[in-house]
Amino acid sequence: MSLRVLNPNAEVLNKSAALHMNINAAKGLQDVLKTNLGPKGTIKMLVGGAGDIKLTKDGNTLLKEMQIQNPTAIMIARTAVAQDDISGDGTTSTVLFIGELMKQSERYIDEGMHPRVLVDGFEIAKRATLQFLEKFKTPVVMGKEPDKEILKMVARTTLRTKLYEALADQLTDIVVDAVLCIRNSEEAIDLFMVEIMHMRHKFDVDTRLVEGLVLDHGSRHPDMKRRAENCYILTCNVSLEYEKSEINAGFFYSNAEQREAMVAAERRQVDERVQKIIELKNKVCSGNDNNFVVINQKGIDPPSLDLLARAGIIALRRAKRRNMERLVLACGGEAVNSVDDITPDCLGWAGLVYEHVLGEEKYTFVENVKNPYSCTILIKGPNDHTIAQIKDAVRDGLRAVKNTIEDEAVVLGAGAFEVAARQFLMNEVKKTVQGRAQLGVEAFANALLVVPKTLAENSGLDTQDVIISLTGEHDRGNIVGLNQHTGEPIDPQMEGIFDNYSVKRQIVNSGPVIASQLLLVDEVIRAGRNMRKPS
Amino acid sequence: MKEIVTVQVGGFANFVGSHFWNFQDELLGLAEDPYADSVFKKQQLDMDVLYRTGETQQGILTYTPRLISLGLQGSLGSMSSHGTLYNHEPATALDVTTWTAGVSTHTAERHKKNLFLQSLYEEQDRSATVDKSGPQREYQDKDIVENLEKGVKFWTDFSKVHYHPQSLYELSGLWMDAWEFDNYGIGRDALSNGLQGEEISERLRFFVEECDRVQGFQFMVDDSGGFSAVASELMENIADEYTNTPVLLYALRAPESYVNLGKRKQTILRSLHDAVSFSRLSSYCNLIVPVGLPSLSTSRASSFFCINDEKLYHCSAVYAAALHSVSLPFRMGSLAPTADLHYVSGGVDVSEVVQILLGQSRRNKVAILDMAMPAPSLTGKEAGERLLGHLHPVTPEIAEDVEDLQAVETMTVHGVLGPGGHEASASEVKDTIHAAYEHATMRPKFCHLSMAHSPLPIPLPFPSIFKNVVGQRGELLENPTAGPPLKGSLDVHSIPMAVRLRSSSAILPYLENRLGYLRRYGVDRGAPGAELVRSWGFGKDELEDFGEDLSKMVIELKPHREVSSDSD
Ligand SMILES: Nc1ncnc2c1ncn2[C@@H]1O[C@H](COP(=O)(O)OP(=O)(O)OP(=O)(O)O)[C@@H](O)[C@H]1O
Ligand SMILES: [Mg+2]
Repeated sequence: MSLRVLNPNAEVLNKSAALHMNINAAKGLQDVLKTNLGPKGTIKMLVGGAGDIKLTKDGNTLLKEMQIQNPTAIMIARTAVAQDDISGDGTTSTVLFIGELMKQSERYIDEGMHPRVLVDGFEIAKRATLQFLEKFKTPVVMGKEPDKEILKMVARTTLRTKLYEALADQLTDIVVDAVLCIRNSEEAIDLFMVEIMHMRHKFDVDTRLVEGLVLDHGSRHPDMKRRAENCYILTCNVSLEYEKSEINAGFFYSNAEQREAMVAAERRQVDERVQKIIELKNKVCSGNDNNFVVINQKGIDPPSLDLLARAGIIALRRAKRRNMERLVLACGGEAVNSVDDITPDCLGWAGLVYEHVLGEEKYTFVENVKNPYSCTILIKGPNDHTIAQIKDAVRDGLRAVKNTIEDEAVVLGAGAFEVAARQFLMNEVKKTVQGRAQLGVEAFANALLVVPKTLAENSGLDTQDVIISLTGEHDRGNIVGLNQHTGEPIDPQMEGIFDNYSVKRQIVNSGPVIASQLLLVDEVIRAGRNMRKPS
Repeated sequence: MKEIVTVQVGGFANFVGSHFWNFQDELLGLAEDPYADSVFKKQQLDMDVLYRTGETQQGILTYTPRLISLGLQGSLGSMSSHGTLYNHEPATALDVTTWTAGVSTHTAERHKKNLFLQSLYEEQDRSATVDKSGPQREYQDKDIVENLEKGVKFWTDFSKVHYHPQSLYELSGLWMDAWEFDNYGIGRDALSNGLQGEEISERLRFFVEECDRVQGFQFMVDDSGGFSAVASELMENIADEYTNTPVLLYALRAPESYVNLGKRKQTILRSLHDAVSFSRLSSYCNLIVPVGLPSLSTSRASSFFCINDEKLYHCSAVYAAALHSVSLPFRMGSLAPTADLHYVSGGVDVSEVVQILLGQSRRNKVAILDMAMPAPSLTGKEAGERLLGHLHPVTPEIAEDVEDLQAVETMTVHGVLGPGGHEASASEVKDTIHAAYEHATMRPKFCHLSMAHSPLPIPLPFPSIFKNVVGQRGELLENPTAGPPLKGSLDVHSIPMAVRLRSSSAILPYLENRLGYLRRYGVDRGAPGAELVRSWGFGKDELEDFGEDLSKMVIELKPHREVSSDSD
């Protein structure tokens, strides 16, 4: 998909042409993303030049797939993508907001107003809106046990903008449980401790939460068990393969016997390491039918696998670095970097370890663990683009839950915040501003309405009617949002439609910054030109 | 030691890689083809070193390169990034099972398959039906070859290889055309956005996990633009994760990357890029081989070709041939001890080559690549001298005729013809070359020689670049008949090759240039590019460290180790 807008050489453009180019680019990008917004937006199927398919309803993914050429559009896209990196949501809204700020400014600029004045107004409006948000947000108390209901509502709101209702609702519980599983009230939530694993399976569409870990590889020895109960888990990062010792000068010219001897010595060292593991296994498994599983970040070569298999040990090699951490959080024990001093205390525990094979793909499930602080969301889907889309949605859901816990607040959605903030700016703030900067405040206020307007538009409703009824309710002191089905005002609180506080904050913060830069384009360029003058 | 994992990073690297895998694919095909020249039947090369065996969910076995290829979004042309083997049916709007509100479909213009690719698909379809005769296609190989000469745009246009779905990765979200993605700084953040870096490491892990005894990584990197930064980041990760596995790196350049726009600003940018790119790449690998002349067409290395420097399709074919030859000894080692030494000899693995070239009394990890394509027959007097004389560098910015008593080298000679036009045996080759070095005035301190019987096979999509003195088996004709002025795969079926990796002080100009650029434009007081490199994210200290490392490399190679003072 390409968005080609003329790419003229900015230096030779006069002020007004450059400005209009920016405005047009912002509007162009807004048009592309507009239909994405909200639970009634359209999903986009992108078919590439070779027939490859990408499926997305996410502003962030869509922007990355587009081949944007216009520098202004790229600037906006970067801001929106950064929005996603920081807060995990709100990319579409960011693009729409920037586009609308530009659109609203255009009117005033065409009437001869200087962009500087508008920008000053933006700054005032931005600060006022952020203050308003502090009052408007709904605080959520996060004690030892967070309020699961509110977490679910936030997750559900986000997920329903990416997946159809029933699927979204199924995932809601999964993402909330996943975050609560890894949450440790002392430390910041590290979402990487939730593994997201997928399987491509023609007839199976399903997502489930595995309390424990799913690894995307299996043991590499035919004699190792494919299923074992009551397993000790050794998590390690120890080379169990023969490696040529560090490049040592002279090695190459030394005679054959010397070379053999060196090889033998290296091999012996590896064998000794394997032996240490076997000893520990014998120690903990003698006299019971418990099993022993080694999960190693480094390699394990065939001779080592043989030794381990003979000792009845299941061994996996080249585990993800992150899984070292996850395994310990899921199973207990510790990740060891050397087998010299391993003791039973280093071992974790899983009630069940089994392998699942799909063509050349193998999966190892480490389940029935005690008291896990890491878990896996397993997505099954019929093809790559479906899986990718669900994965994106799951990530969004996880971020929403994490944000809520960290923000200790949420914001009423369905356009309620935007309408409320707009009325606040128009009714309270504007009159306190001196001179024409008022118009900047007004432009900002009206630009906020792009969210409820677009939500209405995507639901096939009349935007004018919707805005009139929403603003009317707000003026009467009722905080309402938009009912996507009827266009009537609804109470988002009752409906459980909540957005993240940090996401809203970020949108309000970054939108005007970029819009101002784009409006002041002329000055920026002139400054650059002056600097290049020979001194 | 066995498996090699290949990583191709960037546009030109993928062009070279495409030819490289075409050669491998041709070798595999010839080994099974009952009509093929017998020399290809007993190759005694272990292809599992470069390839992996897999299985689709339908239970069909596959054999694909153990490869990760990175390119810009849209660089795959008409090839699907999933490859073709693992059965991905094209989807339609009906397949959207996750969303019930509207779907809008945006279809990019479909890349048309060229004649060559069409013929591949038709062939596949034909072999799938019982009736082998099938409908006759209405174009001939000649048309395919001509069509390729006229219109290769993507590296996939001339690729005949099936790739694994994990192999081809396109970087997205850069919002940049290839010509904008032209320096180290711009590539530095390419992986940091989102999860792309992680995804690539995961794919790498997929290929490494299944290796029993990984021999090394082979990197082909387009060193002329942002991709060198992408590669450095990847290699940094590899150095961390696969600590003792050697990395052999080819820093590749297309002639077009040398085009000088003449503007001073541009010169500073290019020079700093060259310095920083080399510093970073060389620090993360065990051996680096710069490959790519400013004008391949007029170089001595292409005495027997007629090349259009502007065509990536041409230049990459020549370099790929050299890389193929260098990789042969890596595939001789793991063969059964019964392997016939008549066909191959001198197998070494990547780490051994690294050790040889790194040297003993001094340490140098930058090697020069020389190639003879075709290598002359070993007939008549001074056959060895002639062969050595045909070896010409494809590494840029090196000194000629330097006497270096510490020089070490590895040489691979394969498919050369002996007296009477039969393939020369390993021992014949060895004796001839040793004899030639005996008499030479300049000879390396040590030379490791590897030999193989089978020549370089020339697959159909190889460009028509041979002058007409080159015969069907790559022999040099004394009286070339008045054939076509240029020959391609239809006239030339195989080529005897010789390549050499040299660790020699001849590389000094290359190193000194980069050191000079770094100091002049980046580090010195008032350096005009200081601001620029800072914008790439390098602090002054870091740059000084790069300079330090570079000058160490230079000092190692200076005759008599005369200490160079810091002033220029
Ligand atoms: N049930 C609902 N009814 C009305 N509005 C809703 C409902 N659910 C969510 N919304 C609104 O939809 C908007 C979010 O839409 P969406 O998630 O598609 O875009 P985004 O968050 O801006 O960008 P992206 O998710 O693509 O990064 C928010 O303003 C939210 O309040
Ligand atoms: Mg959203």
